[in-house]
Amino acid sequence: MRNTLFAGLLLFACATANAQEGFPLDGTWRGETTASDGSHRTIVLILQWDGKVIGGTMNPGPNGTDFTTGKLNPDGWKFTFDLKTKKNEAVRFDGALGDLGKYNRFLSGKWTENGRSFDIRFVRE
Amino acid sequence: MMTTQTIRNVRLMAVVLAVSCGAAMQASAAPPRFANGTVRLDRMPGEKGYWDGPGAVSLVESGKQVVFLPGGKLKNIADAAQVAPFQPWALALYKFRQQNNFVDDPMKVCMGPGNPRQMMIPGGVRFIQDNNYKRMYMIFGGGNRTWRTIYMDGRDPPVAEEVSATFLGLAVGKWEGDTLVATSTGFNTRFWMSNGGLPHTEALTLTERFKRVSKEVLEYEVTVDDPRTYTRPWKAAWTLRWVAGDMEEQFCETGRE
Repeated sequence: MRNTLFAGLLLFACATANAQEGFPLDGTWRGETTASDGSHRTIVLILQWDGKVIGGTMNPGPNGTDFTTGKLNPDGWKFTFDLKTKKNEAVRFDGALGDLGKYNRFLSGKWTENGRSFDIRFVRE
Repeated sequence: MMTTQTIRNVRLMAVVLAVSCGAAMQASAAPPRFANGTVRLDRMPGEKGYWDGPGAVSLVESGKQVVFLPGGKLKNIADAAQVAPFQPWALALYKFRQQNNFVDDPMKVCMGPGNPRQMMIPGGVRFIQDNNYKRMYMIFGGGNRTWRTIYMDGRDPPVAEEVSATFLGLAVGKWEGDTLVATSTGFNTRFWMSNGGLPHTEALTLTERFKRVSKEVLEYEVTVDDPRTYTRPWKAAWTLRWVAGDMEEQFCETGRE
């Protein structure tokens, strides 16, 4: 039992020890939030830098929304993007990168959708 | 009358002269060749030897006057922008890694050094020239004791988006006179391009030129082309020295220095 626990901890340590990769925003990011009415919501972002713009997809799938409006300010690693969903709702995210050197770095900031705002934290998967 | 000190100085000068002349003679010895005239980048039959002693501390654009401390740390962080023609994000990330004492260096958890960092890792490199199959194998003693293949059969370089990305890329090569020119694409982003923390993306293309200018000296030049990370292609160059003997066995182990 102890050996299994030790092996599990070692595996976890190895997994979290993965190092920084190329462009810091590239990858898949998952954010979770709970609204005031208790409802739970998960938002997934796929981000990709093509050398000129930061684009991506919010919630990939049949209702996924593509965008090419990402902006990164390396001075403070602040990130923002705007998009319109298929229901024509405006979405804006203002956040900043944390744990820059880690594989599982995070984006935390304010998510504004359809006029309502909430704080959210995305972790890179 | 010559004093003892003078005699010592004369002797010292004689030794220095002898060593210098010997080194110069060795350095000027012509590189060995195959029967068809192709330069041998590796040892002659019956000989032992490999390339080592990279003549650079860290990766920096040729012609730039930047001082590195051992390990790739800049002596003056204000010189960071001189190291390469960075895009703004890449410069900020390079500075972060420099100021963070490289704690996230993938090599600290025994991940491969990737290319071109592999060519700066002590431990040795050999070139196995397979003229029958038109391939060149590079065997590395440093880093993760791995190897890479350079296809010399005239095939086109792979399209980066269509291959599984690797640490050393997928390379095709050709001879331009006595210079081996290898073009590599298909890199993953799980390594740093240098001990100093140079970043890159999957868009990286490396063009390497290997030239054995003498029996003892291998000139190495690399052109880095990654438009997502750098504003223009740039070059770096250094030399490796021929070392007699066999590469020593070494393996990366985490948790040990």
